Amino acid sequence: MSLTFSGNRALVLGGTCEIALALAYAMIESDLFPLLTYRDDKGLNAIREALQPFDGRYDTCYLNFGDRDSLESIFSQIGDDLNFLVDFAQGNYESFIAGADEDSVYSYFTENISFRAEILKRAGRIMLKKRKGRLIFISSAAAAKPNPGQGFYAAAKLASEALYRNMGLELGGRGVTAVILRPGYIDAGRGRIYLQKQDQKFLEMVPIKRAITGGEIAQTILFLLSDSAAGINATEISMDGGLTSGK
Amino acid sequence: MNIFAELKRIIEELLDLEDREITPETLLVQDLGAESIDLLELAVTINSRFKIAVKDDEIFLTRFRLYSTEAKQQGKDTVHYIAVRYPFLDEKRIAEIMAHIKEGPQLKIRDLISYVTYRLQGV
Repeated sequence: MSLTFSGNRALVLGGTCEIALALAYAMIESDLFPLLTYRDDKGLNAIREALQPFDGRYDTCYLNFGDRDSLESIFSQIGDDLNFLVDFAQGNYESFIAGADEDSVYSYFTENISFRAEILKRAGRIMLKKRKGRLIFISSAAAAKPNPGQGFYAAAKLASEALYRNMGLELGGRGVTAVILRPGYIDAGRGRIYLQKQDQKFLEMVPIKRAITGGEIAQTILFLLSDSAAGINATEISMDGGLTSGK
Repeated sequence: MNIFAELKRIIEELLDLEDREITPETLLVQDLGAESIDLLELAVTINSRFKIAVKDDEIFLTRFRLYSTEAKQQGKDTVHYIAVRYPFLDEKRIAEIMAHIKEGPQLKIRDLISYVTYRLQGV
C-alpha cells in the first residue's frame, strides 16, 4: 500500500525529539515538507544533524511554548500554507497536587493548555480556509493512567486531548480532522532513558513484552496523516502494546 | 469596493445559496439558517478577503446579551454601554437590536458591513 497525502506542508511542534526527527525523515521521504520547531540551539543542531541528507527539504522555526511572540513569528513564516500539524510539545511538572507551587501551576497550564488552544485556533483557521487539514496530537498512555506526581502532566495532556478532539468535531464537516495518539513505553529519547533505569523485568507488564520503537511511532503518525486514515477523527488511539488494555 | 456586494458573494458561496434575495436587512441566522460553523468560516473568509483582523465575538455580536445584562446590573445606560464595546454599531442600530432580541439572533448583513467598514478605516 502506498500512502497519499492531501497537501505537503506540515508544522511539527517540539520537532527536536527523537521521534519527531524520525517522523520528519519519513515525511521528507514521502515528499512532505516539515517545518520543525525548536527552543534552543541544542535542538536546532539536533534537527540539522538528523536531517543532514535533506537540506532544503525542511525548515525550522524557533518556538518557546508559552511565548506568544514566537508564535506570531511562526505563523508569519507559515502564511496560509499549512496542511498538517503534528504536536509533540510537552512541558513537565511533577508534583503532588497538594504540594504544588501555585505560580508553577498557573504558568504550566497557561503554557501547555492555553497556548496550545491558541495554536489550534490559528492552525485551524488556516486549514478551514482550504477546507482541508489534519491535526495530530501526541499524548501518552500516562495521560489515562498517571502515577502519583503526574497529576499536572495528566491534566495538561487530557485537556489538550479534549481540544484536539473538539477540533475534529467542530471542523470535521469542513475537511479538517484531528486524531490523538497515546504511545506507551517508547524506546527513544526520554523514554529510552526512563526504561534504562528500570529493572529487566519491567517490560513484562506490556503484553507484547517490549517497548514501542521510535520508527514504529513515526510510521504510524505518517499513516494517520495520510488520506487512508481520514476517517479516523476526533478520537484517541493507544499505541502501547496493550499496556492500558488489561489489569 | 462595494462591501455589501463582496459580502453577498462570500455568503452565497459559503452557504451555497443561489437566487436568494439577500439585502443588508437579511438576518444571517433566522433568514439564511447560518450555523456556528458557517459563522466561523465567514469570519475566516472576511479576514482573508478584506485583509482585516476579525474577532469572532465582535463581528457576530456574541456578547450582546451579556453586555445588556451587565449594563442593567451596573445601573448604566444599556445602549451606551454596548456602543462602547461594539463601536462599529451606531446607537440607533443597537436600540433596534434590543427591541427585537427576544425574536432570536439579530445579526444582519448590515452589521457585517458596519464591522468591515470600521476595520478598513484602520481602527
